[in-house]
Amino acid sequence: MFGYVIPVQQELKVKELDQFRAAYCGLCHSLQAHYGLSARFILNYDFTFLAILLSVGNEKVKYSNKRCIAHPLKKRKCCVGGDAFHQAAGFSVILTWWRLRDGVQDSGLFKGLSYRGAGLLLRRAYKKAAQDFPGFDTHCRARLEQLRILEQANSGELDQVADAFAGILSYAAHGIDEDKERTLMQLLYHTGRWIYLIDAYDDLEQDKQSGNFNPLVARFQVGEAGLTDTDRDWISTTLHHSANLITSAYNLLPAGAWRGILENIIYLGFPAVTERVLNGQFRRRWGRWERKDTNQ
Amino acid sequence: MNDPYKVLGVSPNASDDDIKKAYREQARKYHPDNYHDNPLSDLAQEKMKSINEAYDAIMRMRGGGSGNGFAGGGGQSYSGGGSGQFSQVRMAIQTGNLAQAEQLLNAATDRGAEWHFLMGSLAYRKGWLDQARQHINQAASMEPQNREYQTAAQQMNSGGFAYRGGMGNQGGVDMCDCCTALMCMNCLCR
Repeated sequence: MFGYVIPVQQELKVKELDQFRAAYCGLCHSLQAHYGLSARFILNYDFTFLAILLSVGNEKVKYSNKRCIAHPLKKRKCCVGGDAFHQAAGFSVILTWWRLRDGVQDSGLFKGLSYRGAGLLLRRAYKKAAQDFPGFDTHCRARLEQLRILEQANSGELDQVADAFAGILSYAAHGIDEDKERTLMQLLYHTGRWIYLIDAYDDLEQDKQSGNFNPLVARFQVGEAGLTDTDRDWISTTLHHSANLITSAYNLLPAGAWRGILENIIYLGFPAVTERVLNGQFRRRWGRWERKDTNQ
Repeated sequence: MNDPYKVLGVSPNASDDDIKKAYREQARKYHPDNYHDNPLSDLAQEKMKSINEAYDAIMRMRGGGSGNGFAGGGGQSYSGGGSGQFSQVRMAIQTGNLAQAEQLLNAATDRGAEWHFLMGSLAYRKGWLDQARQHINQAASMEPQNREYQTAAQQMNSGGFAYRGGMGNQGGVDMCDCCTALMCMNCLCR
């Protein structure tokens, strides 16, 4: 995935930032422990959000201090996440693997080669993850296949295309205890929908030039000057609407120890990132945020 | 029954005012209007019920009489009238039987305003917000005097509303809009 789900750092308390970093490091360690060193490179904030959500309700969050490649000198505090972090790690590996496979099929020789290279690195990790979570693997594969068919048909059915992707994320909550399952599925569905659409918006210019499929180009009339103001408003509303549905689902979860960080991401992060991507103030690049103009 | 203080998230030593404040905040969070037509509205209703009970229990224990909480409007999503032909569809959507609703709507030959409204409601339940907005706006423009359609269109065009506590209100709706919508819905529920 892509790294759009982030907290608004200025609004975080010091201890919350600490906790968020510990979750990020915890997921990274979990990736390595279960899937080997190569799996570490797929780590991003969206998966961290998933790990936190899956551990909501496990009241005791345990921490330990560990060294790692990125921080060899000083030990860092990280979450010892148990099952939830293992799940999040496995799901991330599976999802990344299948997206890489799609990349191999969809692109030309040279770009295809780089996807192949990355795929090779991840192959063993994937095999292990698919063994750990066969249900998620089957589901993810089927949904991405569905997505590929829609993309090839250049479908302008925005909801249907986004649904194929959103369904993968919501499946991550499948089988969690009953109380939480429906709520978490709804929360993750709209998170997936939001991620898919905001990524499409972010890639709009690039896809228009390269001729790659973009659901927004297929759905709206995108002229030389880009989207019309009316269409941009329409997209903004649908993104905010998903963010609102994420929020109302979240409010039904007993967030416990993660409350501060989750409220920041959900109440503030989603709306803020929506605004900034739509304004063109932020763009994702190599999984990191790049500040385009200094006024913000 | 759960400890009522725990339900409201306050300490048993809290003052009456603090309890009232905590109750108000929770009631705003789970108010049926934040979950109008939401697939999770039943869970929100349960929450609302449990905080109402907790508040009443605390007030009784403290000898303050009844709590006079929010009545919590029952969440009758589809009280607005509708022709007999589509009452089955409404029922199916309300009970979450989306496959049946979809089947009935696809088979329907009368594709007037109500058909569009129900197509929109169905799409909304699935989380297909783009389609939902198109259908509901279509219904509202076909029958501009129908308040049920107008309210729904207003909700779709503003991107809905969600409670975010004290943290900003990027919902795109100000409280006035919300109150107007509330009053409209109140009329419909009569």
